[in-house]
Amino acid sequence: MAATHAEWTKLWSVRSTWWCLGSAVVLMAGQAGLTAISESTDLPASRIAVDGVFYLVQFVVLALAALFVAGEYATGSIRSTLQWVPVRRRVLVAKCAVLAPTLFVLGVVLAALAIAVSVPLLNDRVPDTSIGEAVRTALAAGAYCALLGMFTVGVSVALRSVAGALTVTFLLLLVAPLLLGGMGLVAALDYLPGIAGVNVMLGEGEPSPLSGNPVPYNEFAGIGVLAGWVVAALAAGDAVLRRRDA
Amino acid sequence: MITLRSLTKRYGAKTVVDDLTFDVEPGTVTGFLGPNGAGKSTTMRMVLGLDHPTSGLALVGGRPYAELPHPLRQVGALLDAKALHPGRTAEKNLLAMARSNDIPDRRVGELLEQVGLTEAARKRTGAFSLGMSQRLGIAGALLGDPKVLMFDEPVNGLDPDGVLWVRGLMRSLAAEGRTVLVSSHLMSEMQLTADRLVVIGKGRLLADAPIEEFIANNSVSAVHVRLPDAGDRRVLAERLRRDGAEVELPSDGELVVRDMPVERVGDAAHALGVRLHGLSPRTASLEQAYLELTASAVEYGVSERALGV
Ligand SMILES: Nc1ncnc2c1ncn2[C@@H]1O[C@H](COP(=O)(O)OP(=O)(O)OP(=O)(O)O)[C@@H](O)[C@H]1O
Ligand SMILES: [Mg+2]
Repeated sequence: MAATHAEWTKLWSVRSTWWCLGSAVVLMAGQAGLTAISESTDLPASRIAVDGVFYLVQFVVLALAALFVAGEYATGSIRSTLQWVPVRRRVLVAKCAVLAPTLFVLGVVLAALAIAVSVPLLNDRVPDTSIGEAVRTALAAGAYCALLGMFTVGVSVALRSVAGALTVTFLLLLVAPLLLGGMGLVAALDYLPGIAGVNVMLGEGEPSPLSGNPVPYNEFAGIGVLAGWVVAALAAGDAVLRRRDA
Repeated sequence: MITLRSLTKRYGAKTVVDDLTFDVEPGTVTGFLGPNGAGKSTTMRMVLGLDHPTSGLALVGGRPYAELPHPLRQVGALLDAKALHPGRTAEKNLLAMARSNDIPDRRVGELLEQVGLTEAARKRTGAFSLGMSQRLGIAGALLGDPKVLMFDEPVNGLDPDGVLWVRGLMRSLAAEGRTVLVSSHLMSEMQLTADRLVVIGKGRLLADAPIEEFIANNSVSAVHVRLPDAGDRRVLAERLRRDGAEVELPSDGELVVRDMPVERVGDAAHALGVRLHGLSPRTASLEQAYLELTASAVEYGVSERALGV
């Protein structure tokens, strides 16, 4: 608990956190508004929210988590962190305990924001988004942001560098789908973290704009896929953190 | 109390801390001395569990640092004053530190006051001078009111007032019965604050003794003789050597005699009838004793040493 309290204090006492959150709000509202206004759009409000998370918000989540965790290696403050909390796994848990709820709220609020901004602007050809669908999408966006944040915590600690952590997560989120798609491994796409996140937000059976296929599993299975990536990344981070000198 | 037992750290093939065994006792200031690269900081990092020893033990109060329940309330340390997020204010930094170990928030204000940083509390530490960072680091070390304290070159970057303040602080912490380990590469600094000295060179223990004992064991004294005639110089040198002294001929017209009191050197000169222009006893300072002790263990030193003895 004490370690989490300290990490909470640390998260909110640097400007980068506020910059990340502020820019996420502006980006999300801006892209939702612009998409909804366009005459040619046929995306319902909930889909506009999903696109906003995948193309904009998730990169803010990456930046926030990588700065918060891998950034400590750049500033040298990791040595202070480990001096204060020498049980290293506790540091990893505290980082997750602070980021996960923060990012969950961020995802929920931003998805709700995107829906709220786009609904009044959409033309009448576009199908309505029910309250239930809006809530489901928002919760799913929150879950994806929280899980992606924890995944980045693991990668950051394993690689000990902001640039390294961003490169690896970018590759996994954006390049890996293209590569696998190019090799014809379309069925595997749904198990990559970025696609799984979109699948969770879309819901089972919906056609995925990324793989072209209907989403093959329900939200909980999708969260399970993401959780698998989180566990793998945190296990790698934990192994590195335990062994290496600070 | 800090206990090191055969503590060893290797980086690849290089042994940086080599089989160190010593205790740091409560109620005293222990000076931890060694030339650049001797392994002082590495040793302290191992005590804090930041670096893993290759072998051996580093214990605080009989336990590894990582097993202490609220480590900051038992061990305070200033290692690297710049190991902070530059964008966080001094106050928030100490606040996070306090919360990490369930130390009451009010300690933050008290400590900032004590180290003279109240004015700079809301300033980001990236804008701090080295001296201010050092003060903040000392505030952090004292935050949990710990029984054991470690300072790695605490006076680094401090102004003369700050240096005096740190010396006084070390003395008063020890007087309160705390265990204080302070590293430095300056003997003159340690002479003023330490009760006990631990000297290392190239990672190896060179001396571990109370400061008086260190002075007694290590201060070499010598007699300088000036004489105008080269023949006389040779004769006198020969005679003194036969009587058991160690004699050097550093330059023309000069002799340096060790292991013999000045009276006996004078008597010998008189007995031989040689003409002297000078005869003076000189005692090496502690600084010189230290230089002599570590001379063979200087990592990044100049190869020639110029000792005034
Ligand atoms: N991570 C590392 N990898 C390789 N070598 C290292 C590492 N850290 C320290 N060293 C080496 O270990 C030796 C001891 O360094 P250390 O910083 O402990 O010395 P020191 O006694 O504190 O010196 P100074 O008085 O300059 O602070 C040095 O030769 C240094 O180059
Ligand atoms: Mg050092």
